[in-house]
Amino acid sequence: MARTDLLKGIGVFAVVVVVIVAATVATGTLLSNPSTDGSVDAPAYDDQLLPTAVDDDGSVGAPDGDGTKTVVIDKSHGNALSESEMQPFVDALVRDGHDVRFYTGGTGGSGGFSGGLSSGSSGLNATLRSADAFVVANPASSYTTGEINGLDAFAEAGGRVLLLADPVDPSTGGQSVSIPNPLGTSTGSTVTPGQPTNLAANFGVSFGAGYLFDMTDNANNFQRLYAQPSGDSSLTEGVDRIVLDDATPLATSSEGTAVVESQDAQLSSTRRGGTYTVAAQTGNVVTIGDTNFLEPASATVADNEAFLTNLAEFLVNGDKEPGAPEAAGPSAGTGTGGFGGPTQPGTTPTVPSNGTSFPTGNGTSP
Amino acid sequence: MNRDSGPLDRIGGPVVVFGVVGLLVGAALVPYAWGASTGPDGTVAVVEVHGTINGDTAAAAMADLREARQNDSIQAVVLDVNSRGGLASVSEQLYLSVKQTSEDMPVMVAVTGSALSGGYYTSAPADSIYVTPASTVGSVGVRAVVPPRGAPDNQITTGPDKTTTATQAEARRRVEALRRAFVGSVVAERNTSLSASELSYAKVYSGSRGTELGLADEVGGLDAAISAAADEAGLSDYETVRMESPTASPLSQIGLNASGDATVDVDTTQYFMLHGQLDVSDSAAQIEVTVNGTN
Repeated sequence: MARTDLLKGIGVFAVVVVVIVAATVATGTLLSNPSTDGSVDAPAYDDQLLPTAVDDDGSVGAPDGDGTKTVVIDKSHGNALSESEMQPFVDALVRDGHDVRFYTGGTGGSGGFSGGLSSGSSGLNATLRSADAFVVANPASSYTTGEINGLDAFAEAGGRVLLLADPVDPSTGGQSVSIPNPLGTSTGSTVTPGQPTNLAANFGVSFGAGYLFDMTDNANNFQRLYAQPSGDSSLTEGVDRIVLDDATPLATSSEGTAVVESQDAQLSSTRRGGTYTVAAQTGNVVTIGDTNFLEPASATVADNEAFLTNLAEFLVNGDKEPGAPEAAGPSAGTGTGGFGGPTQPGTTPTVPSNGTSFPTGNGTSP
Repeated sequence: MNRDSGPLDRIGGPVVVFGVVGLLVGAALVPYAWGASTGPDGTVAVVEVHGTINGDTAAAAMADLREARQNDSIQAVVLDVNSRGGLASVSEQLYLSVKQTSEDMPVMVAVTGSALSGGYYTSAPADSIYVTPASTVGSVGVRAVVPPRGAPDNQITTGPDKTTTATQAEARRRVEALRRAFVGSVVAERNTSLSASELSYAKVYSGSRGTELGLADEVGGLDAAISAAADEAGLSDYETVRMESPTASPLSQIGLNASGDATVDVDTTQYFMLHGQLDVSDSAAQIEVTVNGTN
């Protein structure tokens, strides 16, 4: 009798437990919120995100020049463009058998203190006498009147001149400062780059203030803008568009012609949109408001390689009268001053015969 | 028959007994009933997004937002944003987290200082952004340190990009892709009068100007945002819970990095959605975020 009651009690207990647990589970299932869907739609994260790379092929071709020409690249004014930064251009010239020399103005190539030492014009002018083309890029110090006159006569006599400059950082204001590198590790690129303002002005070209940018149609960055040929020029033969990085606009006198321009670009200093000239030619002088397209990483982007080939061709196709610019004043008869031979890189240069205060040059051939 | 009356009858009959029991049970339930009638209908969570957005601050904010989504009593969220951004990858995570929360419940942003760059990315998916005239919004852009060229002399690496991460052209494309994602998201989330390319200038706008441009919605403080969030959630009676972001170490507040935080010490190129100064030491691309790093 007692056993039956006990079993009955246990049975009731089990049923009650099962009912309670089942009711709890059922209620919980009914009442609990389903976990929220973890996927969230980000409307902008689609396959349009990845930009297309700008085509980067080809190489800077050797220019079609007649004979062997001497191209002198100025390094005597604290020029903030190292040899490695213009290597594709130099390579192309060398490949065609031309002499490429870096004119250091006799400061041993460190690039420092050059502003003061190159104040005379005779060293440069003596160098120009044996040169066919002269390249100026981002000088930190200004050119003296004597040097400008020499270059003027040089271009007048058929010598080719290439002026290149990047925008000047507003904080430096384009001052002619030349900073020696205390560590001595680099090739003088620590100088504040400037623009050859007075030299360019002599040829009827003026560099702009600020940089150009394009917010919509650009080579994957607003400062890397496309530029197109402007009119027909041998400089833009085979060029559809080039890519410039951090370029500055140019203003030219009526004698100059725009060679390359950027459409729908804006200028950082005025924020005005429009078509800006970035490369111009005035007779034997070509001025370009950018140097970055010379660098190995940019030289073959878009049609930059064709433009560089044309530029090299321009430099070596001049027909310069020998002996110009003529020596004036105390530098008479020092026609060989300034450079060692290309086969003796880094050797002691010829000292001008009356060598007193003249800077001397180290000839280097890559 | 009287002798058969049970114990209930002896203490006054069933009515009295059940009455007393009912009184006791009812009294025990009074606090709950009182609470149900006078207590808040729900909670508005105020989630702090303060300081430079890095792994730590973002993880805390994302955990808070997840808690808000899962906790039934939290029915609206107000983000208290005072950040000028930080790492790009983390900013995107925060954006997604806020966006997901805003699909579940009202999310308001109160800009209590600045919501710039990554801080604005975080704020963009909110229902409304509350600003004051002096608070700042915008700086919609991405930045990265130019990858160094060449491997350091004191390391052996298995490939040319092991230390540099990518070529400059590749890094530029990556920055461009991040810009497209950021600008595209802001354009999609905000009803702004600015075009994508105008936004890409990455200007900083004042709160008033931001309201005019549609980058923000209302002029008002944190309390206005909280009450708007409660309204939106249908809460007439609510309480607020503040979820704070982790405090930065005192050293990092003065611009030093004492903890060796992996997000800033790793010797690689980092991509930032950050407004303000970015100091790059001379050696490779080691990066420290300084100046107002915790504002």
